[in-house]
Amino acid sequence: MAEEHHKRPVKMPQLNIKIIRLIAAFVVLVLLILRIHNVALESQLGASTWLRLSVSGLIIGGMYALIAIGYTLVYGILFMINFAHGEVMMIGSFGGYFVFEAFNAIPVTLHDGTQISFLNAQPVIAILLAFLIGMGIAALTGYFLEKIAYRPLRGAPRLVPLISAIGASIFLQNAGQLLFGPQRRQYINPVIIDRGLGWQIPIAGTKVLLTYSGIFSLVLSATLMVALYLLVQRTKLGRAMRAVAQDKRTAALMGINVDKIISQTFVISGALAGSAGVMWGIHNGLTNYFVGFLPGIKAFTAAVLGGIGNIPGAMIGGLFLGIVESIGPAALGIDFQLQDVIAFSILILVLILRPSGILGEALTEEKV
Amino acid sequence: MNNLHIQKSAKNGLVFAVIIIFLALIGFTVTAASMIQKVFGVEVSVGTMPKYSALIAFLAFIGLWNGWRAAKQTEEHPLQAGHAILAGLASGFVTGLFALGYSLIVGTLQSNGVNVRVYLSSLSPESIIYFLFGQSPLSGGFIQLSLSTVSAAFGALLVIFWDRSQHQFLIWKQKLSAWGNASWPAKLRRNVFVGYIAMGVVLLLLVILPRTWGSYWNYVMGTVGIYVLLGIGLNIIVGYSGQLVLGYVAFFAIGAYSFALVTAPEPHNLNWNFWIAILVAVVASAISGVLIGLPILRLRGDYLAIVTLGFGEIIRILIKSDLLKEITLGPRGIRNIAGPTLFGKSFSSDSDFMYLIILAVLLSIFLARRWQESRIGRAWLAISQDETVAQATGVDTYKYKLLALAIGAAFAGLGGAIFASRNQFTGPEDHVLMVSINVLCLVIVGGMGSIPGVILGAFALKGLPEILRELESYRLLVFGALLVLMMIVRPEGLWPATRPKYEENSPPPVTVEGGSR
Amino acid sequence: MSKKILFFVFVVFAMILASCSGAQTPAPANTDAPVATDATTDKATDVPAAAGAPAVCATDEFGCAVIPPGSTIKLGMGAPMTGDYASFGIDISQGATIAIKDGGELDGFKFELVAQDTQGAPEGGAAVANKLVTDPTVVAIPGHIFSGSTEAAIPIYEKAGLPMLSPSATNPPLTTLGSKVFNRIAFTDAVQGKSAAEYLYNKLGFRKIAVMHDGGAYGQGLADVVKQEFTALGGEVVAYEGIEPGKQDYTTVLSVISSKNPEAVYFGGYVAEGYILANQMKQTGLENAVFFGCDGTFGAEFIEKSGANGEGAYAASLIPPDSDAKAKFDATYLADYGVPAGSLSPYTWSGYDAAAALIAMVKSVAVLGGDGNLYVPRGELVKAVRNMSGFSSITGDITCNDVGECNTAGPTFYIVQNGEWVQAPK
Repeated sequence: MAEEHHKRPVKMPQLNIKIIRLIAAFVVLVLLILRIHNVALESQLGASTWLRLSVSGLIIGGMYALIAIGYTLVYGILFMINFAHGEVMMIGSFGGYFVFEAFNAIPVTLHDGTQISFLNAQPVIAILLAFLIGMGIAALTGYFLEKIAYRPLRGAPRLVPLISAIGASIFLQNAGQLLFGPQRRQYINPVIIDRGLGWQIPIAGTKVLLTYSGIFSLVLSATLMVALYLLVQRTKLGRAMRAVAQDKRTAALMGINVDKIISQTFVISGALAGSAGVMWGIHNGLTNYFVGFLPGIKAFTAAVLGGIGNIPGAMIGGLFLGIVESIGPAALGIDFQLQDVIAFSILILVLILRPSGILGEALTEEKV
Repeated sequence: MNNLHIQKSAKNGLVFAVIIIFLALIGFTVTAASMIQKVFGVEVSVGTMPKYSALIAFLAFIGLWNGWRAAKQTEEHPLQAGHAILAGLASGFVTGLFALGYSLIVGTLQSNGVNVRVYLSSLSPESIIYFLFGQSPLSGGFIQLSLSTVSAAFGALLVIFWDRSQHQFLIWKQKLSAWGNASWPAKLRRNVFVGYIAMGVVLLLLVILPRTWGSYWNYVMGTVGIYVLLGIGLNIIVGYSGQLVLGYVAFFAIGAYSFALVTAPEPHNLNWNFWIAILVAVVASAISGVLIGLPILRLRGDYLAIVTLGFGEIIRILIKSDLLKEITLGPRGIRNIAGPTLFGKSFSSDSDFMYLIILAVLLSIFLARRWQESRIGRAWLAISQDETVAQATGVDTYKYKLLALAIGAAFAGLGGAIFASRNQFTGPEDHVLMVSINVLCLVIVGGMGSIPGVILGAFALKGLPEILRELESYRLLVFGALLVLMMIVRPEGLWPATRPKYEENSPPPVTVEGGSR
Repeated sequence: MSKKILFFVFVVFAMILASCSGAQTPAPANTDAPVATDATTDKATDVPAAAGAPAVCATDEFGCAVIPPGSTIKLGMGAPMTGDYASFGIDISQGATIAIKDGGELDGFKFELVAQDTQGAPEGGAAVANKLVTDPTVVAIPGHIFSGSTEAAIPIYEKAGLPMLSPSATNPPLTTLGSKVFNRIAFTDAVQGKSAAEYLYNKLGFRKIAVMHDGGAYGQGLADVVKQEFTALGGEVVAYEGIEPGKQDYTTVLSVISSKNPEAVYFGGYVAEGYILANQMKQTGLENAVFFGCDGTFGAEFIEKSGANGEGAYAASLIPPDSDAKAKFDATYLADYGVPAGSLSPYTWSGYDAAAALIAMVKSVAVLGGDGNLYVPRGELVKAVRNMSGFSSITGDITCNDVGECNTAGPTFYIVQNGEWVQAPK
């Protein structure tokens, strides 16, 4: 230690490191492409398998994107990682579950005397209500989460809200377990968005099943993303949100109620997470108190991948992550167990090349 | 007392209504009642509910709190008794109304044969009947209503008594502080030898306690000690150099596994000496820290956080994957990990491990202190305050960040090795994301950059859940709530850091704004 | 600074001294397992030389557990009560609780289950074990639940002389550690995997199968055995893949497997992933492949959640299909917990059996002392559990062999037919 006092710090040439990093990243990229090329040539995976993989990736990516937008919205305004966001999604997922469950219990007699559940008699109403309630509960959770766990910490050191968020996440998860029990609950879908039925697409001699639930999720997540984009870009609320994100103090001077905008941001991000939760239930069929954890972390990754604080970035990051996760192992010819390894490696690779994410505009250096 | 006050009280009552209904829904009312009963020495026998008096005590306690808060909310100085009681009554009545509504709904569902438990798993029929005091829904609900209202009124009255007796406390407080400022205690405090004596007492306790308090406390305190070790390591990264790392468990895992692999008979049968293996673990973790740091330390803030989080997940998945099964034994984990030996003697009892952990902690505290006060520490401080400025003033930020990561990783490696050795077993489930999160929490809960804070934080984070074991399935719920509460009450941490002074008359240090700018 | 360093060196020296003096005290001589010996364990010394203590306590290796009047005889369990696998811990402890209720009283002493949370991790297992051994009225352990947490706990119970009877720790090497206290009802992965491979090859006549597992010690161990045995029999394992539990969307991995056209998919893991796989197989071109599960995928939940997709799926179990004992248990479970037995995990019956068997063993060795205390000789109890023979319960007769494998019958295979598990043709 003693020498350390006297030794001058050795200057590392800054430029060289950048070049070395670039070269290293380039080499890795080339190797990756070569590997993918070889595997694709060798493997017996037909076109149908690739189609299946891409569709799966898109569907899961859409959900990641919806949750990631929530992370990004909150981050853009408060510069905090809302660690409890996955749990908000879980609560939304339960909301949808209970709606379907209730409607399934109501019998309806058709004209020809057959008895079916209300769920299948009025599927559109059921789905709408499931999403409304799921999103509503999640939005409410987001609202109170902010009010109870984050608002008192406004102005505290930056990591403090993160810990509070972690605490809230643990609390919500365990509350979910105590309220709804440890078991996994199965979503009962209306037949029109069934998980097992769907369009058979003939391709290369076999048929690929595109399930109704999958298509529904895909379309809905795309719609919600467009709607959110319009909300942020075109409405007064969106403008206020962007203003607050850019500079809270000035925004307040311009007559924007910052606290209210922050609350509304949490409501919106909660609603999106809730919709992702209901979608998750509809598509994967299950929900329990732990359902938010993995997607939460993945979506956080997606948000960073796209450039945190950037809404189109979160969408692209989510879809990209979903596709990499599902196609990656097959394309690289390695175990599916290593899906997450691939996803996170890609994240590291992308961030080495673009330190602020795919669409990030050096946000962290200037704005934080 | 006007309408506004009544409104405020009603709002307060609403909050408590949510709390009561939530507690009832998760079945906590029953658990709390059993705990109260236990405190009074009456065990609750299996399969039966505690006595109703225990439930009344619990509900009354919440009611008192309710009234207390309602009365405090009026913000009247001096508070008039009538107003206070009115506020308490209003608040308690609102809460009670909701409790009545809840009782009616749940009780009616129950008596109509609906199995509520299918949806809300904590609501067993017995617990519903218990909440209704064994009465019909309506009368049970009215008992709730009256209980809530009356106890809230008493809670409000408590505020009055508190205010009346307040000045007595103030006098005592003044006396105490006067005593504290008196000349001889202050002199005593400044005396170096007193500090040494205090230190000596602590050390004596550290020497004696592990031999006296039995294996369970050795185990719990050992875990706390290992987390202190981890906390000190992460504190160097997050607290000193200001880099947010969420994948600290990766280094912990690398330490534990490299230690396990070179000492365990399976899978490689190397059976190295304990001390050499510890060294291997520390070096391996430090090297991995440098390796992961090289490409990513340019990233800032949350980008670094998520990349390191990803790194931690990558390590965990690789350890349990089929790919590395030959090397790490996959999910099965490694067993028969060696304990410490010295001069051919085995030192593997729980108290021996406790000593080992205490030594390791003392050593790491010593090292961390030394580093913090050295040139390196000042470089870290500069980086954590403002990286761009630090760079501009000639600090090689990259190098010092790398150094922080390597040192932090080495501490994690040491912790991992001791952890594996003490349990004689390590598996992938020991190295999950929650470990990183726990360590980060303890650093921040304790107070970032402060070593006493880390120790306190480790007690809070790892000791508390063990203490909360009595709460059984509610312990993590309570733990999460406490974490939020702790942050709200003390955002700067339990024992905030005081920056070392480098020069006389230096301006007061700026409070550190977050680790990750 | 040098003063501080000197001080530190002094402290180190003091600690080593303290530690040395600890090692010199005589340690109990049980060294057949790699167990740390410890003189400070208070377990062996908790027997007061009271007048009422029966003679057996003086000679017993671990001494007696003394249960004063008014206390309960405790069975301690380490189970995941929170976290991702909470349903297992909660379910098994609920099963055991019913056994406690059925167990009745012993000389006026009631039994009690102390289920402590391990969060499913080895670290938690060790913490719980350390906690339980400090309670002198804990006499036996129906657990732990997962192999990892069991593994970490065995050395601690070994020191204290607490017999274990695990309902669900299936990792084969657990019984080869030479532990005196560890026993289990669950059959090992080795036994089950071998018979599953043989069943697939010989009985069902499959030659090309895919093997999957959930990446846990249990699932992967099982999948390894099946892969090995099936290849040894002459069959071909066309794909071997692990999945990450909790992900819920396994269509990608199934799509790749489907391109290799296996005749059956063997899955080692738990029911939560099992029915998802069974469902998603139908979406990914594996409609004609048979889903073949293990004892982790058996149970009502599989059928409930997979519905028509689960028809024709296989699983293994140690629970005989129908017996009076099972019917009685199922009725009690439904009444007590509001959900049918087996809908939280496939192991609740084993949890009942483990607790019931331990209670019976405690009853067989406990002695009521002259002073009104109940004395349970720990060493005797350890031996009694290991020598248990023909204890009849839900899972059939429990007979332990000399290493602690108490289920010698081997698995029974089941198939889903018309929405019910029925015994598959042998």
